[in-house]
Amino acid sequence: MSESQDSFGPETAPPFPATPPSIPEHQIMRRIGSGGSGEVWLARHTFGAYRAVKIVPLRAAGRHQISQNEFSGILNFEPVSRLHDGLVDILQAGGGEEQGYFYYVMELADDARSGQPFMAETYWPRTLAHDIRARGRLPIGECIRLGAAIASALGFLHRQNLIHRDIKPSNIIFVNGFPKLADIGLVTEISGERGHAGTVGFIPPEGSGTAQADLYSLGKVLYEMSTGNRAENYPALPADLGTTRDDLELMQFNRIILKACRTNPRSRYDSADELMTALLSFQFNHRASRWSSGGWPWAWAIGAFGALIGAGFIIFLVWRLVWLLQRSE
Amino acid sequence: MESQTDQAIPTRYSLLSRLQNWRDNESWQDFFDTYWRLIYSVALRSGLTEAEAQEVVQETVICVAKDIHKFKRDRELGSFKGWLRNIIRWRIADQLRKRTRRSSDQPAPPEEQSEILGTAGDNCEAVWELEWKAHLLKTAIQRVKHRVKEEHFQIFDLYALREWPVNKVAKALGVSAPVVYLAKHRVGAMIKKEILAMEKGQQ
Repeated sequence: MSESQDSFGPETAPPFPATPPSIPEHQIMRRIGSGGSGEVWLARHTFGAYRAVKIVPLRAAGRHQISQNEFSGILNFEPVSRLHDGLVDILQAGGGEEQGYFYYVMELADDARSGQPFMAETYWPRTLAHDIRARGRLPIGECIRLGAAIASALGFLHRQNLIHRDIKPSNIIFVNGFPKLADIGLVTEISGERGHAGTVGFIPPEGSGTAQADLYSLGKVLYEMSTGNRAENYPALPADLGTTRDDLELMQFNRIILKACRTNPRSRYDSADELMTALLSFQFNHRASRWSSGGWPWAWAIGAFGALIGAGFIIFLVWRLVWLLQRSE
Repeated sequence: MESQTDQAIPTRYSLLSRLQNWRDNESWQDFFDTYWRLIYSVALRSGLTEAEAQEVVQETVICVAKDIHKFKRDRELGSFKGWLRNIIRWRIADQLRKRTRRSSDQPAPPEEQSEILGTAGDNCEAVWELEWKAHLLKTAIQRVKHRVKEEHFQIFDLYALREWPVNKVAKALGVSAPVVYLAKHRVGAMIKKEILAMEKGQQ
Protein backbone atom coordinates (compact mmCIF):
# COMPACT_ATOMS: atom_id res chain seq x y z
CA MET A 1 0.00 0.00 0.00
CA SER A 2 1.39 3.31 -0.83
CA GLU A 3 -1.19 6.09 -0.80
CA SER A 4 -1.08 8.51 2.07
CA GLN A 5 -3.69 8.15 4.77
CA ASP A 6 -4.19 11.91 4.40
CA SER A 7 -5.70 11.36 0.98
CA PHE A 8 -8.39 9.01 2.23
CA GLY A 9 -11.96 10.10 2.66
CA PRO A 10 -15.07 10.67 0.59
CA GLU A 11 -14.41 14.42 0.44
CA THR A 12 -11.12 13.80 -1.32
CA ALA A 13 -11.90 10.59 -3.19
CA PRO A 14 -11.53 10.82 -6.96
CA PRO A 15 -14.57 10.10 -9.13
CA PHE A 16 -13.92 6.36 -9.46
CA PRO A 17 -16.51 3.62 -9.44
CA ALA A 18 -17.63 2.78 -5.91
CA THR A 19 -17.42 -0.95 -6.56
CA PRO A 20 -14.02 -2.24 -7.66
CA PRO A 21 -13.74 -4.71 -10.52
CA SER A 22 -12.95 -8.30 -9.69
CA ILE A 23 -9.27 -9.18 -9.57
CA PRO A 24 -8.15 -12.72 -10.45
CA GLU A 25 -7.38 -14.93 -7.46
CA HIS A 26 -8.20 -12.14 -5.02
CA GLN A 27 -11.17 -11.16 -2.93
CA ILE A 28 -11.39 -7.38 -2.63
CA MET A 29 -12.26 -6.43 0.95
CA ARG A 30 -12.18 -2.69 1.58
CA ARG A 31 -10.64 0.51 0.33
CA ILE A 32 -7.56 1.59 2.26
CA GLY A 33 -6.27 4.52 0.24
CA SER A 34 -6.72 6.76 -2.74
CA GLY A 35 -4.49 8.93 -4.84
CA GLY A 36 -4.58 11.04 -7.93
CA SER A 37 -4.71 8.13 -10.31
CA GLY A 38 -6.49 5.31 -8.55
CA GLU A 39 -7.54 3.59 -5.38
CA VAL A 40 -5.85 1.03 -3.18
CA TRP A 41 -7.80 -1.86 -1.76
CA LEU A 42 -7.12 -4.49 0.87
CA ALA A 43 -7.52 -7.88 -0.75
CA ARG A 44 -7.14 -11.50 0.21
CA HIS A 45 -5.48 -14.03 -2.06
CA THR A 46 -7.18 -17.35 -2.64
CA PHE A 47 -4.44 -18.99 -0.57
CA GLY A 48 -5.12 -16.69 2.39
CA ALA A 49 -2.41 -14.03 2.21
CA TYR A 50 -3.47 -10.38 2.42
CA ARG A 51 -2.33 -8.03 -0.32
CA ALA A 52 -2.74 -4.45 -1.45
CA VAL A 53 -4.30 -3.97 -4.86
CA LYS A 54 -4.18 -0.69 -6.72
CA ILE A 55 -6.82 -0.21 -9.39
CA VAL A 56 -6.35 2.55 -11.93
CA PRO A 57 -9.19 3.39 -14.30
CA LEU A 58 -7.94 4.23 -17.76
CA ARG A 59 -10.93 6.27 -18.74
CA ALA A 60 -11.48 8.52 -15.71
CA ALA A 61 -12.22 12.03 -16.94
CA GLY A 62 -9.14 14.23 -17.12
CA ARG A 63 -6.85 11.46 -15.92
CA HIS A 64 -6.24 9.42 -19.00
CA GLN A 65 -2.67 10.60 -19.49
CA ILE A 66 -1.86 10.22 -15.80
CA SER A 67 -3.19 6.67 -15.87
CA GLN A 68 -1.29 5.86 -19.04
CA ASN A 69 1.91 7.15 -17.46
CA GLU A 70 1.36 4.99 -14.41
CA PHE A 71 0.68 1.98 -16.61
CA SER A 72 4.02 2.56 -18.32
CA GLY A 73 5.67 2.98 -14.93
CA ILE A 74 4.38 -0.39 -13.80
CA LEU A 75 5.69 -2.07 -16.95
CA ASN A 76 9.12 -0.60 -16.15
CA PHE A 77 9.07 -1.32 -12.45
CA GLU A 78 7.46 -4.74 -12.15
CA PRO A 79 10.40 -6.75 -13.54
CA VAL A 80 12.86 -5.26 -11.03
CA SER A 81 10.62 -4.80 -7.99
CA ARG A 82 11.41 -8.18 -6.52
CA LEU A 83 15.17 -7.89 -7.03
CA HIS A 84 15.81 -5.55 -4.11
CA ASP A 85 14.51 -5.74 -0.54
CA GLY A 86 13.98 -1.98 -0.44
CA LEU A 87 11.41 -1.93 -3.25
CA VAL A 88 7.80 -2.95 -2.73
CA ASP A 89 7.17 -6.25 -4.49
CA ILE A 90 4.75 -6.17 -7.39
CA LEU A 91 3.27 -9.66 -7.35
CA GLN A 92 0.77 -9.52 -10.16
CA ALA A 93 -0.49 -7.02 -12.71
CA GLY A 94 -3.19 -7.04 -15.31
CA GLY A 95 -6.02 -5.26 -17.07
CA GLY A 96 -5.73 -2.93 -20.02
CA GLU A 97 -7.53 -0.66 -22.44
CA GLU A 98 -10.15 -3.25 -23.19
CA GLN A 99 -11.12 -3.62 -19.58
CA GLY A 100 -10.93 0.12 -18.99
CA TYR A 101 -8.62 -0.24 -16.02
CA PHE A 102 -5.40 -1.85 -14.96
CA TYR A 103 -4.40 -3.19 -11.59
CA TYR A 104 -1.36 -4.35 -9.73
CA VAL A 105 -1.07 -6.46 -6.63
CA MET A 106 1.55 -5.53 -4.05
CA GLU A 107 2.80 -6.95 -0.79
CA LEU A 108 0.89 -5.48 2.11
CA ALA A 109 2.45 -3.00 4.51
CA ASP A 110 2.55 -3.78 8.22
CA ASP A 111 -0.45 -2.69 10.24
CA ALA A 112 0.06 0.79 11.68
CA ARG A 113 -1.33 -0.42 15.00
CA SER A 114 1.90 -2.15 15.96
CA GLY A 115 1.68 -5.04 18.34
CA GLN A 116 -1.94 -5.78 17.48
CA PRO A 117 -3.12 -8.96 15.74
CA PHE A 118 -4.02 -8.30 12.13
CA MET A 119 -7.66 -7.44 11.65
CA ALA A 120 -8.87 -6.75 8.15
CA GLU A 121 -11.68 -4.53 9.42
CA THR A 122 -9.35 -2.07 11.14
CA TYR A 123 -6.14 -2.50 9.18
CA TRP A 124 -4.28 0.65 8.26
CA PRO A 125 -0.93 0.61 6.44
CA ARG A 126 2.15 1.65 8.34
CA THR A 127 4.16 4.30 6.51
CA LEU A 128 7.06 6.49 7.55
CA ALA A 129 4.66 9.45 7.49
CA HIS A 130 2.50 7.67 10.04
CA ASP A 131 5.51 7.01 12.27
CA ILE A 132 6.62 10.65 12.17
CA ARG A 133 3.10 11.87 12.94
CA ALA A 134 2.80 9.46 15.85
CA ARG A 135 6.28 9.86 17.36
CA GLY A 136 7.61 13.21 16.23
CA ARG A 137 11.28 13.30 15.30
CA LEU A 138 12.90 9.89 15.19
CA PRO A 139 16.20 8.99 16.91
CA ILE A 140 19.20 9.65 14.68
CA GLY A 141 20.24 5.99 14.73
CA GLU A 142 16.87 5.03 13.29
CA CYS A 143 17.07 7.82 10.70
CA ILE A 144 20.43 6.45 9.55
CA ARG A 145 19.11 2.91 9.30
CA LEU A 146 16.01 3.92 7.36
CA GLY A 147 17.88 6.41 5.21
CA ALA A 148 20.57 3.89 4.27
CA ALA A 149 17.96 1.25 3.38
CA ILE A 150 16.05 3.61 1.11
CA ALA A 151 19.25 5.00 -0.41
CA SER A 152 20.29 1.44 -1.23
CA ALA A 153 16.95 0.79 -2.93
CA LEU A 154 17.16 4.05 -4.79
CA GLY A 155 20.67 3.29 -5.99
CA PHE A 156 19.46 -0.03 -7.33
CA LEU A 157 16.54 1.64 -9.09
CA HIS A 158 18.82 4.22 -10.69
CA ARG A 159 21.17 1.50 -11.92
CA GLN A 160 18.17 0.02 -13.76
CA ASN A 161 17.86 3.42 -15.46
CA LEU A 162 14.68 4.19 -13.56
CA ILE A 163 13.75 7.12 -11.31
CA HIS A 164 11.02 7.24 -8.70
CA ARG A 165 9.96 10.93 -8.81
CA ASP A 166 7.76 10.90 -5.70
CA ILE A 167 9.91 10.01 -2.71
CA LYS A 168 8.32 11.18 0.52
CA PRO A 169 7.49 9.64 3.91
CA SER A 170 3.97 8.60 2.93
CA ASN A 171 5.45 6.57 0.05
CA ILE A 172 7.78 4.59 2.30
CA ILE A 173 6.03 1.61 3.82
CA PHE A 174 7.17 -1.01 6.29
CA VAL A 175 6.93 -4.72 5.53
CA ASN A 176 7.95 -6.96 8.42
CA GLY A 177 9.55 -3.88 9.95
CA PHE A 178 11.74 -3.21 6.90
CA PRO A 179 11.33 0.05 4.97
CA LYS A 180 10.42 -0.14 1.29
CA LEU A 181 9.91 2.39 -1.44
CA ALA A 182 6.33 2.24 -2.64
CA ASP A 183 3.86 4.20 -4.75
CA ILE A 184 5.58 3.56 -8.02
CA GLY A 185 2.96 5.45 -10.00
CA LEU A 186 5.49 8.02 -11.18
CA VAL A 187 8.39 5.63 -11.84
CA THR A 188 9.82 6.20 -15.26
CA GLU A 189 13.01 5.81 -17.23
CA ILE A 190 15.76 8.33 -16.75
CA SER A 191 15.52 10.65 -19.73
CA GLY A 192 17.10 13.84 -18.43
CA GLU A 193 13.90 15.74 -19.12
CA ARG A 194 12.94 18.03 -16.27
CA GLY A 195 9.37 17.99 -15.11
CA HIS A 196 7.16 18.94 -12.20
CA ALA A 197 5.89 15.54 -11.09
CA GLY A 198 6.01 14.88 -7.40
CA THR A 199 4.95 16.54 -4.17
CA VAL A 200 5.48 20.12 -3.04
CA GLY A 201 8.31 20.30 -0.56
CA PHE A 202 10.12 17.33 -2.06
CA ILE A 203 10.67 18.61 -5.60
CA PRO A 204 14.08 20.23 -6.07
CA PRO A 205 14.41 23.75 -7.48
CA GLU A 206 15.45 22.41 -10.89
CA GLY A 207 12.37 20.17 -11.12
CA SER A 208 11.93 16.42 -11.06
CA GLY A 209 12.96 13.85 -13.62
CA THR A 210 16.55 13.05 -12.74
CA ALA A 211 18.38 10.81 -10.32
CA GLN A 212 19.69 13.92 -8.58
CA ALA A 213 16.11 15.04 -8.00
CA ASP A 214 15.37 11.71 -6.29
CA LEU A 215 18.36 12.29 -4.00
CA TYR A 216 17.05 15.73 -3.10
CA SER A 217 13.69 14.19 -2.20
CA LEU A 218 15.38 11.57 -0.05
CA GLY A 219 17.28 14.37 1.67
CA LYS A 220 13.97 15.99 2.52
CA VAL A 221 12.77 12.67 3.92
CA LEU A 222 15.87 12.58 6.16
CA TYR A 223 15.01 16.13 7.20
CA GLU A 224 11.42 15.28 8.15
CA MET A 225 12.47 12.14 10.00
CA SER A 226 15.17 13.79 12.06
CA THR A 227 13.50 17.13 12.81
CA GLY A 228 9.81 16.30 12.83
CA ASN A 229 9.32 19.41 10.67
CA ARG A 230 7.48 19.36 7.37
CA ALA A 231 9.60 19.45 4.24
CA GLU A 232 8.34 22.94 3.39
CA ASN A 233 9.99 24.26 6.57
CA TYR A 234 13.47 23.22 5.45
CA PRO A 235 16.11 24.24 6.55
CA ALA A 236 14.53 25.34 9.84
CA LEU A 237 15.75 23.34 12.83
CA PRO A 238 13.40 21.82 15.45
CA ALA A 239 11.83 24.33 17.80
CA ASP A 240 12.85 22.23 20.80
CA LEU A 241 16.51 21.94 19.81
CA GLY A 242 18.58 21.83 23.00
CA THR A 243 21.81 20.40 24.24
CA THR A 244 21.01 16.72 24.71
CA ARG A 245 23.22 14.10 23.12
CA ASP A 246 20.54 13.46 20.49
CA ASP A 247 20.59 17.11 19.52
CA LEU A 248 24.36 17.07 19.10
CA GLU A 249 23.94 14.05 16.84
CA LEU A 250 21.20 15.87 14.96
CA MET A 251 23.49 18.81 14.22
CA GLN A 252 26.10 16.44 12.81
CA PHE A 253 23.45 14.55 10.86
CA ASN A 254 22.28 17.96 9.62
CA ARG A 255 25.43 18.18 7.47
CA ILE A 256 24.36 15.10 5.50
CA ILE A 257 20.91 16.61 4.97
CA LEU A 258 22.36 19.94 3.84
CA LYS A 259 24.50 18.24 1.23
CA ALA A 260 21.67 16.04 -0.02
CA CYS A 261 19.40 19.07 -0.42
CA ARG A 262 21.76 21.56 -2.03
CA THR A 263 20.07 23.95 -4.44
CA ASN A 264 22.74 23.20 -7.03
CA PRO A 265 22.39 19.54 -8.10
CA ARG A 266 26.14 19.35 -8.75
CA SER A 267 26.79 20.12 -5.08
CA ARG A 268 24.71 17.18 -3.85
CA TYR A 269 25.88 13.59 -3.45
CA ASP A 270 26.83 12.16 -6.82
CA SER A 271 24.70 9.08 -6.34
CA ALA A 272 22.38 7.28 -3.96
CA ASP A 273 25.26 4.93 -3.16
CA GLU A 274 27.40 7.88 -2.09
CA LEU A 275 24.60 9.10 0.18
CA MET A 276 24.26 5.62 1.64
CA THR A 277 28.00 5.48 2.27
CA ALA A 278 27.84 8.87 4.00
CA LEU A 279 25.08 7.63 6.27
CA LEU A 280 26.88 4.43 7.18
CA SER A 281 30.16 6.30 7.74
CA PHE A 282 28.36 8.70 10.01
CA GLN A 283 27.01 5.77 11.98
CA PHE A 284 30.47 4.20 12.26
CA ASN A 285 32.25 7.43 13.18
CA HIS A 286 29.56 8.34 15.59
CA ARG A 287 29.90 5.03 17.41
CA ALA A 288 33.70 5.43 17.46
CA SER A 289 33.46 8.93 18.91
CA ARG A 290 31.06 7.73 21.59
CA TRP A 291 33.53 5.01 22.41
CA SER A 292 36.42 7.44 22.77
CA SER A 293 34.45 10.13 24.58
CA GLY A 294 33.34 7.81 27.32
CA GLY A 295 29.82 7.53 26.17
CA TRP A 296 29.87 3.84 26.97
CA PRO A 297 31.25 3.36 30.56
CA TRP A 298 31.64 -0.37 30.20
CA ALA A 299 34.10 0.27 27.37
CA TRP A 300 36.33 2.01 29.86
CA ALA A 301 36.09 -0.92 32.21
CA ILE A 302 37.16 -3.32 29.48
CA GLY A 303 39.95 -0.99 28.49
CA ALA A 304 41.22 -0.70 32.06
CA PHE A 305 41.11 -4.46 32.51
CA GLY A 306 43.03 -4.94 29.31
CA ALA A 307 45.64 -2.42 30.43
CA LEU A 308 46.01 -4.28 33.70
CA ILE A 309 46.56 -7.59 31.95
CA GLY A 310 49.09 -5.98 29.63
CA ALA A 311 50.99 -4.43 32.49
CA GLY A 312 51.04 -7.74 34.33
CA PHE A 313 52.44 -9.49 31.28
CA ILE A 314 55.21 -6.93 30.92
CA ILE A 315 56.12 -7.26 34.58
CA PHE A 316 56.27 -11.02 34.14
CA LEU A 317 58.56 -10.70 31.13
CA VAL A 318 60.93 -8.37 33.01
CA TRP A 319 61.01 -10.71 36.00
CA ARG A 320 61.69 -13.67 33.75
CA LEU A 321 64.53 -11.86 32.02
CA VAL A 322 66.12 -10.90 35.34
CA TRP A 323 65.78 -14.49 36.55
CA LEU A 324 67.45 -15.83 33.40
CA LEU A 325 70.29 -13.33 33.71
CA GLN A 326 70.86 -14.24 37.34
CA ARG A 327 70.88 -17.93 36.48
CA SER A 328 73.38 -17.44 33.74
CA GLU A 329 75.72 -15.75 36.18
CA MET B 1 4.43 22.92 -9.67
CA GLU B 2 6.00 26.09 -8.27
CA SER B 3 9.59 25.98 -7.15
CA GLN B 4 10.53 27.07 -3.69
CA THR B 5 11.31 30.69 -4.51
CA ASP B 6 9.75 34.03 -3.87
CA GLN B 7 6.86 32.98 -6.10
CA ALA B 8 5.69 30.74 -3.25
CA ILE B 9 4.88 33.95 -1.32
CA PRO B 10 3.46 36.32 -3.93
CA THR B 11 3.96 40.07 -3.81
CA ARG B 12 1.16 41.85 -2.09
CA TYR B 13 -0.02 43.86 -5.08
CA SER B 14 0.02 41.04 -7.59
CA LEU B 15 -1.88 38.89 -5.08
CA LEU B 16 -4.44 41.63 -4.49
CA SER B 17 -4.95 41.96 -8.22
CA ARG B 18 -5.55 38.24 -8.58
CA LEU B 19 -8.01 38.21 -5.69
CA GLN B 20 -10.42 40.15 -7.89
CA ASN B 21 -11.08 36.82 -9.58
CA TRP B 22 -13.16 34.77 -7.18
CA ARG B 23 -12.41 31.61 -9.13
CA ASP B 24 -8.66 31.94 -8.56
CA ASN B 25 -8.62 29.39 -5.76
CA GLU B 26 -4.84 29.32 -5.54
CA SER B 27 -4.60 33.05 -4.92
CA TRP B 28 -7.35 32.97 -2.34
CA GLN B 29 -5.57 30.11 -0.60
CA ASP B 30 -2.37 32.19 -0.67
CA PHE B 31 -4.24 35.10 0.88
CA PHE B 32 -5.69 32.92 3.60
CA ASP B 33 -2.37 31.21 4.34
CA THR B 34 -0.61 34.59 4.53
CA TYR B 35 -3.04 36.50 6.70
CA TRP B 36 -5.17 34.17 8.80
CA ARG B 37 -2.71 34.01 11.69
CA LEU B 38 -2.43 37.76 11.77
CA ILE B 39 -6.22 38.21 11.86
CA TYR B 40 -6.63 35.46 14.47
CA SER B 41 -3.88 36.84 16.73
CA VAL B 42 -5.26 40.37 16.63
CA ALA B 43 -8.74 39.09 17.45
CA LEU B 44 -7.50 36.95 20.35
CA ARG B 45 -5.37 39.71 21.78
CA SER B 46 -8.29 42.07 21.55
CA GLY B 47 -10.07 39.97 24.14
CA LEU B 48 -12.09 37.55 22.02
CA THR B 49 -12.38 33.84 22.69
CA GLU B 50 -10.91 31.31 20.27
CA ALA B 51 -14.32 30.62 18.76
CA GLU B 52 -15.01 34.33 18.33
CA ALA B 53 -11.57 34.88 16.84
CA GLN B 54 -12.20 32.11 14.31
CA GLU B 55 -15.43 33.82 13.32
CA VAL B 56 -13.53 37.07 12.84
CA VAL B 57 -11.13 35.27 10.50
CA GLN B 58 -13.99 33.88 8.44
CA GLU B 59 -15.92 37.12 8.31
CA THR B 60 -12.83 39.14 7.45
CA VAL B 61 -12.05 36.87 4.51
CA ILE B 62 -15.65 37.17 3.35
CA CYS B 63 -15.49 40.97 3.60
CA VAL B 64 -12.26 41.06 1.64
CA ALA B 65 -13.82 38.82 -0.99
CA LYS B 66 -16.87 41.07 -1.27
CA ASP B 67 -15.01 44.37 -1.36
CA ILE B 68 -11.64 43.62 -2.95
CA HIS B 69 -12.86 44.98 -6.25
CA LYS B 70 -13.51 48.30 -4.54
CA PHE B 71 -10.02 48.47 -3.11
CA LYS B 72 -7.81 50.81 -5.05
CA ARG B 73 -4.18 51.53 -4.80
CA ASP B 74 -4.72 55.18 -4.36
CA ARG B 75 -5.43 57.32 -1.37
CA GLU B 76 -9.19 56.84 -1.38
CA LEU B 77 -9.09 53.72 0.75
CA GLY B 78 -5.53 54.08 1.97
CA SER B 79 -3.07 51.25 2.08
CA PHE B 80 -4.03 47.62 2.06
CA LYS B 81 -2.70 47.39 5.59
CA GLY B 82 -5.02 50.12 6.82
CA TRP B 83 -7.97 48.75 4.88
CA LEU B 84 -7.48 45.27 6.30
CA ARG B 85 -7.01 46.67 9.79
CA ASN B 86 -10.36 48.46 9.61
CA ILE B 87 -12.16 45.36 8.39
CA ILE B 88 -10.71 43.32 11.24
CA ARG B 89 -11.57 46.01 13.75
CA TRP B 90 -15.20 46.12 12.61
CA ARG B 91 -15.48 42.35 12.72
CA ILE B 92 -14.09 42.32 16.26
CA ALA B 93 -16.63 44.98 17.19
CA ASP B 94 -19.38 42.78 15.71
CA GLN B 95 -18.36 39.93 17.99
CA LEU B 96 -18.40 42.19 21.02
CA ARG B 97 -21.84 43.49 20.10
CA LYS B 98 -23.07 39.92 19.93
CA ARG B 99 -21.69 39.36 23.40
CA THR B 100 -23.58 42.29 24.87
CA ARG B 101 -26.77 41.03 23.23
CA ARG B 102 -26.21 37.48 24.51
CA SER B 103 -25.32 38.48 28.05
CA SER B 104 -28.68 40.01 28.84
CA ASP B 105 -32.26 39.86 27.66
CA GLN B 106 -32.12 43.48 26.72
CA PRO B 107 -29.29 45.09 24.81
CA ALA B 108 -26.88 47.22 26.79
CA PRO B 109 -27.44 50.96 26.79
CA PRO B 110 -25.79 52.79 23.89
CA GLU B 111 -23.22 54.43 26.20
CA GLU B 112 -22.13 51.06 27.54
CA GLN B 113 -21.97 49.55 24.07
CA SER B 114 -19.98 52.50 22.90
CA GLU B 115 -17.60 52.08 25.82
CA ILE B 116 -17.12 48.39 25.10
CA LEU B 117 -16.55 49.03 21.43
CA GLY B 118 -14.30 51.95 22.16
CA THR B 119 -12.18 49.87 24.52
CA ALA B 120 -12.13 47.05 22.02
CA GLY B 121 -11.08 49.48 19.31
CA ASP B 122 -8.22 50.74 21.44
CA ASN B 123 -7.15 47.19 22.22
CA CYS B 124 -7.34 46.26 18.56
CA GLU B 125 -5.29 49.28 17.58
CA ALA B 126 -2.76 48.50 20.27
CA VAL B 127 -2.20 44.92 19.23
CA TRP B 128 -2.53 45.59 15.53
CA GLU B 129 0.85 47.23 15.11
CA LEU B 130 2.59 44.55 17.15
CA GLU B 131 0.95 41.72 15.24
CA TRP B 132 1.51 43.45 11.91
CA LYS B 133 5.23 43.82 12.61
CA ALA B 134 5.41 40.18 13.66
CA HIS B 135 3.60 39.21 10.47
CA LEU B 136 6.02 41.25 8.33
CA LEU B 137 9.01 39.70 10.08
CA LYS B 138 7.70 36.19 9.67
CA THR B 139 6.89 36.74 5.99
CA ALA B 140 10.27 38.36 5.36
CA ILE B 141 12.08 35.46 7.01
CA GLN B 142 10.14 32.98 4.88
CA ARG B 143 11.11 34.82 1.71
CA VAL B 144 14.76 35.29 2.61
CA LYS B 145 15.06 31.65 3.70
CA HIS B 146 14.93 30.54 0.07
CA ARG B 147 17.52 33.06 -1.08
CA VAL B 148 20.40 32.33 1.27
CA LYS B 149 22.64 29.36 1.84
CA GLU B 150 20.92 26.90 4.12
CA GLU B 151 23.73 26.97 6.71
CA HIS B 152 23.52 30.75 6.88
CA PHE B 153 19.81 30.60 7.54
CA GLN B 154 20.38 28.08 10.29
CA ILE B 155 23.08 30.27 11.79
CA PHE B 156 20.71 33.24 11.76
CA ASP B 157 17.95 31.12 13.28
CA LEU B 158 20.08 29.87 16.15
CA TYR B 159 22.09 33.04 16.81
CA ALA B 160 19.66 35.89 16.10
CA LEU B 161 16.26 34.33 16.66
CA ARG B 162 16.96 31.77 19.38
CA GLU B 163 19.81 33.81 20.86
CA TRP B 164 22.22 30.95 21.30
CA PRO B 165 25.74 31.95 22.33
CA VAL B 166 28.03 32.32 19.34
CA ASN B 167 30.34 29.49 20.44
CA LYS B 168 27.42 27.11 20.76
CA VAL B 169 26.20 28.01 17.28
CA ALA B 170 29.70 27.64 15.85
CA LYS B 171 30.16 24.23 17.42
CA ALA B 172 26.70 22.99 16.46
CA LEU B 173 27.10 23.93 12.81
CA GLY B 174 30.81 23.24 12.51
CA VAL B 175 31.79 26.81 11.58
CA SER B 176 33.94 29.51 13.08
CA ALA B 177 32.69 32.42 15.17
CA PRO B 178 33.44 35.01 12.45
CA VAL B 179 31.27 33.01 10.05
CA VAL B 180 28.44 33.18 12.57
CA TYR B 181 28.74 36.94 12.88
CA LEU B 182 28.95 37.40 9.14
CA ALA B 183 25.96 35.19 8.39
CA LYS B 184 23.86 36.93 11.00
CA HIS B 185 24.74 40.30 9.56
CA ARG B 186 24.04 39.33 5.96
CA VAL B 187 20.80 37.50 6.57
CA GLY B 188 19.62 40.18 8.97
CA ALA B 189 20.28 42.88 6.38
CA MET B 190 18.31 40.95 3.75
CA ILE B 191 15.38 40.56 6.12
CA LYS B 192 15.36 44.27 6.97
CA LYS B 193 15.43 45.12 3.28
CA GLU B 194 12.55 42.73 2.65
CA ILE B 195 10.46 44.27 5.42
CA LEU B 196 11.05 47.77 4.05
CA ALA B 197 10.01 46.61 0.60
CA MET B 198 6.83 45.05 1.95
CA GLU B 199 6.00 48.16 3.96
CA LYS B 200 6.52 50.28 0.89
CA GLY B 201 4.31 47.95 -1.11
CA GLN B 202 1.54 48.31 1.41
CA GLN B 203 1.43 52.08 1.06
